[in-house]
Amino acid sequence: MKKLKLFTLTFTVAVNLLVTVPVLAQNNLTTAVQSDALFKTFGEKAGLVRLMDDFMVRLVADARTGPFFKDSNLKLVKSQLVDQFCVLIGGGCPYKGDTMKEVHGGMKIKKSDFNALVELLQLSMDAQSIPFTAQNQLLAKLAPMHRDTITVH
Amino acid sequence: MNQTLTTVAMALALLAGPQAYADTGKLLLTGGVSSIDGAAGGGLTPWAVIGSNATEGEIGATAYVTRASTQDYSLTGFGAAVGFNERFELSLARQDFDASPSVALNGIAAFGISPGEHLKMDIVGLKVRVAGDAVLDSDSLMPQIAVGLEYKAVSPGSLSSVLNFLGTSTTGTDVYISATKLFLAQSLLVNGTLRYTNANQNGLLGFGSGAPGKSTMSLVPEFSVAYLLSKYVAIGAEYRVKPNNLEALGRAAGLGDALAEDDWKDIFVAWAPNKNASVTLAYVDLGRIVPGVTGGRKQTGFYVSAQLAF
Repeated sequence: MKKLKLFTLTFTVAVNLLVTVPVLAQNNLTTAVQSDALFKTFGEKAGLVRLMDDFMVRLVADARTGPFFKDSNLKLVKSQLVDQFCVLIGGGCPYKGDTMKEVHGGMKIKKSDFNALVELLQLSMDAQSIPFTAQNQLLAKLAPMHRDTITVH
Repeated sequence: MNQTLTTVAMALALLAGPQAYADTGKLLLTGGVSSIDGAAGGGLTPWAVIGSNATEGEIGATAYVTRASTQDYSLTGFGAAVGFNERFELSLARQDFDASPSVALNGIAAFGISPGEHLKMDIVGLKVRVAGDAVLDSDSLMPQIAVGLEYKAVSPGSLSSVLNFLGTSTTGTDVYISATKLFLAQSLLVNGTLRYTNANQNGLLGFGSGAPGKSTMSLVPEFSVAYLLSKYVAIGAEYRVKPNNLEALGRAAGLGDALAEDDWKDIFVAWAPNKNASVTLAYVDLGRIVPGVTGGRKQTGFYVSAQLAF
């Protein structure tokens, strides 16, 4: 009985650690650059518009990602992406679009599709000469969205 | 047995390769490279990543060749691995170790060691990812965790008399748990592995030791760090703690530290020009390897490994 109690206690502590540590980490892991430094590195709003102009072309053209956009209003998607990225990297733009879950819930998105999108975004960021370290700071904010974006495991 | 393993490894690589080629979807370098024991990871230690380009719902394969050379020894290795569903990994490896300096042991006793003797070792590895995503869970400290085993069988050739004298077994199984985390915003990957093993020099000198050496298993840690310089290039370092099973036996036999074993270290650069190929270069420090026949020298040198992945 004593052993069981000890086990329960240990287990509870372990679970608490598993749950709380990530929450604490959330603030530190993805915000290596505070304030709007990252936003500036991406060329502010105009830079994000240029990035998305390039990115949308690649998304539509690529055989892996193109089908997901065939019925989309590309202009709307692009402006929502600009606003969303702007919020993520400290630009303070208002994002009025739907949540990631709402947007992707009806689609069959696999992990390979998600990774394909990341690859294309990396190519677009390369094309805009965004430094690799800044690219990874943005990707670190986007990557956790896999939980609401990948619908097929 | 040896020939069969090699044939099976090559057949697996050929079978799984072209079929899965079209639609494997992992990000560049996130499947690691091939470790010397065949499992995906760094150079000297396995990581929690599942090898190949295959992610969920996919099957992928890798094949590799490795060459390492130090002051007195050299090692050639090759093998293949198959990754299923970014969940399971099966790996096969063959190591050919040039143990030429061991002929000096004939001066201690009538071991009958042939000049230029090579030790050969075959390794079958299994790995299962049990939790986490090393790359995408970038908002938490939760690493990717995997458990694995490596079954090793060494063919000592004319050195079997020495392995018998040392009281070591020619087969052994290492069990390990690995945790791998990519701190994406910092472009930094960290891995920690705990290995439960009684291998001497990774198994090349057998497993366990006659008394008063250590025959039981030890729990030894291994560490890797890698910094991503770009999508294509990572630099890093590794440290692998080793059990030192045989030294006590050597001392009792009046041979001093002739059989001492040291930890392994390396610094490396890995380059993946595309998803299907990578090359790893490293400077390794393997410490002393049977210092009794090598003038007590530390074994340092270069390590190069090339991998094809599908």
